Amino acid sequence: MTPEQIILVQSSFERLGPDLPAMTALFYQELFQRDPSLRPLFTTEMGEQRVKFAQKLTEIVQTMPRLGELLTHTRALGARHAGYGVRAADYRTVGDSLIAALAGVLGEEFDTATREAWELAFNIVAETMLEGAAAARPISS
Amino acid sequence: MTLPRWPIVGRRPELEVFERALGSGERAGLAIYGRAGVGKTRLADECAGQAAASGHPTERVAGSRTTALLPLGAVVALLPDGPGQLGSDGQVNTVALFEQARQALHDRHRGRRLVTVADDMAQIDPASLALLGYLAARRAIFLVATVRTGEPVPDLLTDLWRDGRLERIDLHDLSRAHVDTLLHLALGGPIEAGAGQEFWAASRGNPLYLRELVLGALQSGALVDRSGVWHLEDPLPATSRLLDLVEQRIGGLPPEARSVVELLALCQPVELSYLETAAPPGVLELLERAGLVTITVDDGQVRLAHPLHAKVVRAGMPRLRVRAVLLAQAERLAAASPAPSPAELRIAVWRLDAGGRPDPAVLIRGAHLARSAHDFRTVRRLMEAVPSGQLDAVGALLLGEALYELGAFDESERVLALGQDLPSSEQIALQLAVTRAKNAQWGLCQPEKALAINAAARAVVTSAPLAEELVADEASVLTFSGHPDRALVVLGRTAGGGRRTRVVRAIAGAVALAAAGRTAEAVALAQAGYADHVALGDEPGIAHPAMHVVNQVFALAEAGRLAEAEQVARAGAEIVAAQRVPIAQIWFAVNFGRVAILQGRVVTARRFYAEAAGLCQSSRFAGSRRVALSGLALAHAMLGETDPVTRALVERAAAPAFGFLGPEQRLADGWAASAARQPAEAAEALRSAAADAASTGYRVTESWLLHDLMRTGGEDVSGRLRELADECDSPLVSARARHAAAAQARDAGELTGAADDFEALGAMLLAAEAAGEAAAASSRAGDRRAAAASLRRSSALAAACEGAATPGLFHLATVNASPAAPLSGREREIVLLAVTGMASKDIAERLYLSVRTVNNHLQHAYAKLGVTSRAALAQALGSAI
Repeated sequence: MTPEQIILVQSSFERLGPDLPAMTALFYQELFQRDPSLRPLFTTEMGEQRVKFAQKLTEIVQTMPRLGELLTHTRALGARHAGYGVRAADYRTVGDSLIAALAGVLGEEFDTATREAWELAFNIVAETMLEGAAAARPISS
Repeated sequence: MTLPRWPIVGRRPELEVFERALGSGERAGLAIYGRAGVGKTRLADECAGQAAASGHPTERVAGSRTTALLPLGAVVALLPDGPGQLGSDGQVNTVALFEQARQALHDRHRGRRLVTVADDMAQIDPASLALLGYLAARRAIFLVATVRTGEPVPDLLTDLWRDGRLERIDLHDLSRAHVDTLLHLALGGPIEAGAGQEFWAASRGNPLYLRELVLGALQSGALVDRSGVWHLEDPLPATSRLLDLVEQRIGGLPPEARSVVELLALCQPVELSYLETAAPPGVLELLERAGLVTITVDDGQVRLAHPLHAKVVRAGMPRLRVRAVLLAQAERLAAASPAPSPAELRIAVWRLDAGGRPDPAVLIRGAHLARSAHDFRTVRRLMEAVPSGQLDAVGALLLGEALYELGAFDESERVLALGQDLPSSEQIALQLAVTRAKNAQWGLCQPEKALAINAAARAVVTSAPLAEELVADEASVLTFSGHPDRALVVLGRTAGGGRRTRVVRAIAGAVALAAAGRTAEAVALAQAGYADHVALGDEPGIAHPAMHVVNQVFALAEAGRLAEAEQVARAGAEIVAAQRVPIAQIWFAVNFGRVAILQGRVVTARRFYAEAAGLCQSSRFAGSRRVALSGLALAHAMLGETDPVTRALVERAAAPAFGFLGPEQRLADGWAASAARQPAEAAEALRSAAADAASTGYRVTESWLLHDLMRTGGEDVSGRLRELADECDSPLVSARARHAAAAQARDAGELTGAADDFEALGAMLLAAEAAGEAAAASSRAGDRRAAAASLRRSSALAAACEGAATPGLFHLATVNASPAAPLSGREREIVLLAVTGMASKDIAERLYLSVRTVNNHLQHAYAKLGVTSRAALAQALGSAI
């Protein structure tokens, strides 16, 4: 990422402000619409799930400029998700849903440069989560 | 040099295919197909690594030229007793041998399949392939085979595939996002936009090339870490390993095809119509089929498919051959396109590359074409090839400007001074003078010299419009050497002149007006200047059009219109990053930093100033670097990071003095002393800087310095701030004055009003400080309710300040009863909400935490503060405010 892209991700996230819960709700709506089969993976009550998601996302966005710290978060998070049965293809769906939710809430402010920055940031997070997942998941045969 | 890690990126879906195949039991193996360098071997090894991590036994077999000659040479590792004995018929009984091997593997691994990587199937001898097939079919091994695109696929794989027992992966180059991800993870941090673009352009997503390019650039010192951001300061080098890799790809080509590749490497793009007549029939088809060239249908041009091939082929060609090809092509193109034509640039470069001495007229015309594309490296190459006796004034202008843009300031000065002695039109003489003055000002950091150059030019100029421009230019030197007041006086002497003069006047005037507190005029002038500049076009001797946008950001910040400033800066910064205009990139970063400091986003400010400092270093602008490092030290100081403050100030001491924003630079000294708990030094630094600001016309800066004198030392500055507020049209200056007066009077209502003003401007840190003082004032007046409300507000505002640790926020820190165990930021935040009577559940909702987490934090805070209940907590806090 370029330093400008990191700032773009952080400042657009900050601009969500009080709309963060709305964005989170929209995210899950997008996600289940894109792939209803993901619904059963979520066993937690959805209200609590949304709060947890917003919290994690906030943490990740805040640590974006400090790669070492970010990796500690994302690898552990990935390892946990491997246990839930999440696969690489699902990350794509999640990424697309997140981008759609951000675009939905931020409207015109979510311009091309901001979208690209988010896509790259998500890619970094997804790749390192998958790295953590791979380390945690045994192959059975 | 080695990289700390080179992670596997963009291959997780493929790894999952492997996992499923291995886990299913129905598959006997996996085949990975793809071009050279796409990462087949890496993926195969990663598969084996994952299998090993889950407890599978693994083995690796690979063919080579030697083992290919030896039956079973590649798979010796799978044969428990070597390649077997000759039977009575003088032959090896392969069936018995294979079965023996299977049994031995079965016993050794207790029935688990041995995950066997067979790298590069084309190099493995037929007997070895037969054994692999036998073992895979009988579940003794799980085969992971790599096959290079275009090479024969062994029967073993086709057989398994037909039986539905083989999984297949076609591996492709990485996408741009994956390349950027890989760079980020491998380098461990962000990379400057232009550098990322170059790695992408050179590698086109080929992971092996990318890795070699990164390693080569690290080794040669072209890729360097400047304050946490990676910069590319020299062109990417072609390492011998890269030469090798590319040679493997094109090594087997017949000579006719090789010559076409060489021709393209030197002169691409080349017209298809020409190549069709120059190359024997079939050659182009061969190259296209091998994926080595691409033909664009709409413009009929042929190029090498991979940009790196051109670079490497070029580097590997004998000198004489290069010369022959280039000269022949230059002749051909010159005959086909009579001068003047856009082809002249290519012709001139080719002749130069061939070691020839092109006609100076052609070189100069070529340099003009390169200049119009902002390709200053080529301008420099072409113009330095002109024999010095034949360099005319226009040539000196072109060369001098290119040298300035490339950071060669001393050489630029020499060439431009020489150019001024050559006969020229008055127009060119003027451009030489202003370019030389610009170099003296920004490059050499010698404003007196710049003023002298300007004065000398004014003394001889006869044309009235040109004289006007020189006056505007004098104002520009004054503005950017730290004299906005004198610049405004000079600007008052000029009104006429053409569009070019208006553009120069806008650059000098917008900043000087903003500094003087006439911010509305400043914003309007920056906007008008930009429009004029776009209409004028790009001309030598004037700054880049984006500098008007930089100035607009500066003016908006001085006006306290912080959100707008941020927005305009973002739009502008994107444009100049894409075009790679270092000076504009630097000043966008500096202004981003300023705006962030004013907003109270200190970590963001720190990052922007660090970026600006890095950019200054790579483009050699030492004076601008001084401004950036001052900002960096300021941000560190406001975060309470004392060691980094010292480091930034030591680095700054090595930079030459630079008058632009001079008084503002000294905010760093004041805050550094304050962070080091030296209040007297802090006050002295800020007071003397404010006096300098007053005497040079930096009114808005003066209000900033005085206000900070109050913030760090509690000094009464309300009188002078009131005067400044009356002189300036900036609500930011007015809010500072209101704050100072209210603080002096300890007027809770007015302090709250000041907090409102700051918050409305987006100056969250100042708002948090004012609200905190309002809390203290209310508390003193006995109004506990109002005190708690202000305290809560202050805490909420401080949460937006990214960990700022200014004296004005100490009231929040005093909540920490024991300095040995200070409250964490989160604890403080929760305590301040709890003390207002908010229930844990509501706090949890507000902060996106679980109720349990909130209660945990509270318990920790109780322990640290030595209290056991909320009531006691409120008491402890009540005494603190």
